[in-house]
Amino acid sequence: MSKQPQVGAKKTGSLKGISVLVVEDYPFMVDMLTAMLREFGVGRIIVAENGEEAKDLIRYSFSASGNAIDMVLVDWLMPVCNGVELLQWVRGNKNEQIRFLPMVLISANTSERVVKTSRDFGANEALVKPVSPKSLSSHLAHVINHPRPFVKAPGFFGPDRRRQFREINFNDRRKTAPELVKEYHEQL
Amino acid sequence: MSSSDANPESANPQEDMDDGVEMFHRVNRLKMKTGLLPNDDNVFRIEKEKVDSAQVIIESKASLYPNEVKNVLNALDKAWQDSKKAATRDKAKPHLEKLFHKANQIKDLASTFSYVLMQYFGMSLRDFIEKIDIENPKHLIIVQAHIDVMWVVLNENIKDEGGDKAKELKMIVAKAIEKYSQ
Repeated sequence: MSKQPQVGAKKTGSLKGISVLVVEDYPFMVDMLTAMLREFGVGRIIVAENGEEAKDLIRYSFSASGNAIDMVLVDWLMPVCNGVELLQWVRGNKNEQIRFLPMVLISANTSERVVKTSRDFGANEALVKPVSPKSLSSHLAHVINHPRPFVKAPGFFGPDRRRQFREINFNDRRKTAPELVKEYHEQL
Repeated sequence: MSSSDANPESANPQEDMDDGVEMFHRVNRLKMKTGLLPNDDNVFRIEKEKVDSAQVIIESKASLYPNEVKNVLNALDKAWQDSKKAATRDKAKPHLEKLFHKANQIKDLASTFSYVLMQYFGMSLRDFIEKIDIENPKHLIIVQAHIDVMWVVLNENIKDEGGDKAKELKMIVAKAIEKYSQ
């Protein structure tokens, strides 16, 4: 008997119609990433060995005869053209569709410098190695569910990283730092 | 025009009144491509079963680790021999770049399968290559110490960094760096 969809059940979406470009120079890591993406149900996975090859594939995918790439997963450290250089090329591109392409930068380095550099060059997300199915799936979902508006400012084009302050119309139960410190001392 | 009714294919610049930067609010095409509406309550997510099944596939690749590390270590060794044979810093540069990337690959591979000690030496070697002077004989000793201990780690299948052998190997490299890095 076939399963009947539940009335009122929330839809979760599918990656069947999504094209992902994986840019990574190490074949073993390419296998790992593509295996994960396939299991997640990504419809089309394209692989580039380095940033230069990725540029050609992106250009072609956004040409009249191409099938547009929806998202790029790019390794930070690669010979020929690295992840940051590719990111700069994408964000500085004259083609409007290429400029807004969601970019996830993969790095083995968790240092603040790496996160800051990814942000400064306009990455949508920074993913830390080793990449697990859990971390990859949550980053993909975040890029899909929470796209930030883009900002164009002198010397920067990319997702808006500024904190957003929003008015709330209910009782704020969060505590301020001085309140937390006071509470801590009271508990001692 | 509000952000929600903009043409998905066109950027929709809006002036931010606070700081004068140009803001682009675009329709969420990516979410639409997953079959959901950009602003509805449905949140895109990858089902747990798919994540679990990907995890099983990744774990099944762990058996390939020893052979794969061996291949990369061989390539790293070759890049190191080529670097040493190069007569000048300029000629050594492409070989050292290859060595740098091979060390990085070992680090990535080891971290994926939780081979902590190999990850430590891969990263240490990669970081040292960034500042190496190939014409300084002392620096050659440091690289060689790294490569030697990495072979030991592989051949003796040492995974963690807590055991006596692991501590001994880390000490060898630490002493080489301390003695010869100047």
